[in-house]
Amino acid sequence: MTRRRTARALTAFALATLPLAAAAGELNILTWEGYADPAFLKPFEAASGCTVSATYVGSNDDFAAKLAAGGGVYDVITPSLDTVSMMRLAGFVDPVDTAAVTGAEGIYPEFAKHPEIVVEGETWAVPLIWGSVSVIYRPDKVTGTPDSIGVLFDPAYKGKISLWDDKSAIYWTARYLGFPNIFDLSDAELEAVKAKLIAQKPLIRKYWSSAGELTDLMANNEVWVSNAWTGLTSKDVNALGKGFTVAEFSPREKAEGWMDSMMLVKGTPNQECAVKFMSYMQSPEGQCGIAKSTGYFPVNPGAVASCMDAAMKAERKVDNIDFVKSLVMWQQPVRLDKYLEVWNAVKAAP
Amino acid sequence: MRRPASSMLLTAGLFALPLGWALLLLIVPYLLMIAVGFWTRQFPLFVPDFQFGNYLQLFSDPQYTTVILRTLKIAAMVTGCALILGYPLAYFLVFTLRSDRLRNLIYMAVIVPLWVSYLLRAYTWKIILGTDGALNSALIWLGLIDTPLDAFLYNQTAMVITLTYIFVPFMVMPIYAVLENIPKGLIEASEDLGIGPLGTFRHVIAPLSLGGVVAGAMMTFCLSFGDFVAPVLVGGPDGTMVANLLQTQFGAALNWPLGSALATLVLIMVLAILGLTGWAERASARNLR
Repeated sequence: MTRRRTARALTAFALATLPLAAAAGELNILTWEGYADPAFLKPFEAASGCTVSATYVGSNDDFAAKLAAGGGVYDVITPSLDTVSMMRLAGFVDPVDTAAVTGAEGIYPEFAKHPEIVVEGETWAVPLIWGSVSVIYRPDKVTGTPDSIGVLFDPAYKGKISLWDDKSAIYWTARYLGFPNIFDLSDAELEAVKAKLIAQKPLIRKYWSSAGELTDLMANNEVWVSNAWTGLTSKDVNALGKGFTVAEFSPREKAEGWMDSMMLVKGTPNQECAVKFMSYMQSPEGQCGIAKSTGYFPVNPGAVASCMDAAMKAERKVDNIDFVKSLVMWQQPVRLDKYLEVWNAVKAAP
Repeated sequence: MRRPASSMLLTAGLFALPLGWALLLLIVPYLLMIAVGFWTRQFPLFVPDFQFGNYLQLFSDPQYTTVILRTLKIAAMVTGCALILGYPLAYFLVFTLRSDRLRNLIYMAVIVPLWVSYLLRAYTWKIILGTDGALNSALIWLGLIDTPLDAFLYNQTAMVITLTYIFVPFMVMPIYAVLENIPKGLIEASEDLGIGPLGTFRHVIAPLSLGGVVAGAMMTFCLSFGDFVAPVLVGGPDGTMVANLLQTQFGAALNWPLGSALATLVLIMVLAILGLTGWAERASARNLR
């Protein structure tokens, strides 16, 4: 009895779940690079009276880590679809009253009503933006027109290859090795993936852990080829005018797709500002703003009707939800811990 | 004789703050860390428990041994490089330089970088060692190479260079302090007895400065052993150190129990190293007498 109480006290202490209340009217979002661009956030701040400050994550695994270490600092988080359920199961988030979110009805139902987002009649997230992960490369350095993940394993580019420091390295390698069920690999398949990734290490210059880092690596001639969040890094590197350009392609082994959505951190004192923010992000200013600052695809086709021309609509797959079917949409791996262990073992290997 | 109550109150008042601080912010957290090391990871978080599975995993999975050995190697190399650079510098400052102003100036030049953010200094090395960096540009300009070399950045050499640069002041300061305190009379006596500079160094200066060397080496070793920034900024795919593993377990993997077990293991190792150097220092002090 006493021991259990001690254990419970320890849990409470260790998890530090004491919410440090953020000041009212001040919205703290834990999100991805490009999702809090002043170009579209300034008008929101002026109209709503809520000031927004953003902290950036480098992978989906950062959300739980940050929230477990005292989550009360943040009000809104934007994990990808494969992490939404985990946030709910860990008790980090509250359900969202979508009736209060203006424009939420215009979101693709494939996203808004996704079984990970609507659970037993309660909605846990409001979709924000979606996209794919492709291979980025230097056409002036890579011979021919690559179309396969194999370019990331090509000894010809030894020391000029980068890879996202994320468990998704396993997905990429599994697809390259021809394993179809990349989110539920067997032990033998995981061993093969691990061996392949360890064999690839001498070819790797650096694993990147933020879009900014990959932009630096590409821009400073450190690497010529990597996997990348489609749109963002290529836009940023090409904007630097370094005397070379970078290009992207979807590998023939299929590209990965993802969709990020906004979730409400449990017990946030800034719920009003959070809902205003979610509504704004479904407006033409919000959807076009984030699409422009990231190069990703809007989730609300009605909202962007007025602020995108036909060419951009085609490029950003507006009303082309079928494009999703050509992608391998991220899911939470059945054995998440095992996947993380494998990826850590790869990074620790000599 | 019993001390008056007022004096005891004064003593308690004087030491309550540091003792309370040590208890609350050092002892209690360490005990918590050791306790959490016996918990169990259970998706999505972890539950209180008492089992040795985490330690079993640390010893059975080769990834942890690999990284611990690598970290020991890097820390030892940094300590060695810092000693090779730091000792002659301190010696030069104390014994060779005649001008006090110049001595103070150079000593300050060694210390001043400590005031600049560690991150900034590590970033600077990225700019120097990179493919398009200052070092490659200089070598190309000198005509020594045609194409930039990849070999400088994103590997263990870059980590050792960066860490040595960052921690060398911690080696220079204690050595400088002991060298400065060696009575000049001892050195003069040795010279009067016809012992050459090398002999004087071997028999007088080196043994007397050993305490400073041990202190400097210990600080440099422990600081580089616990570093996690250099591997991220200038290390390559084979640069993971123990502190990075800890960061991963407390971060992405969300496995605080395994992380705590690893942290406890690291604590034991550091304590063992401290004990060993303390013992070596006492032994050498006995030999001097």
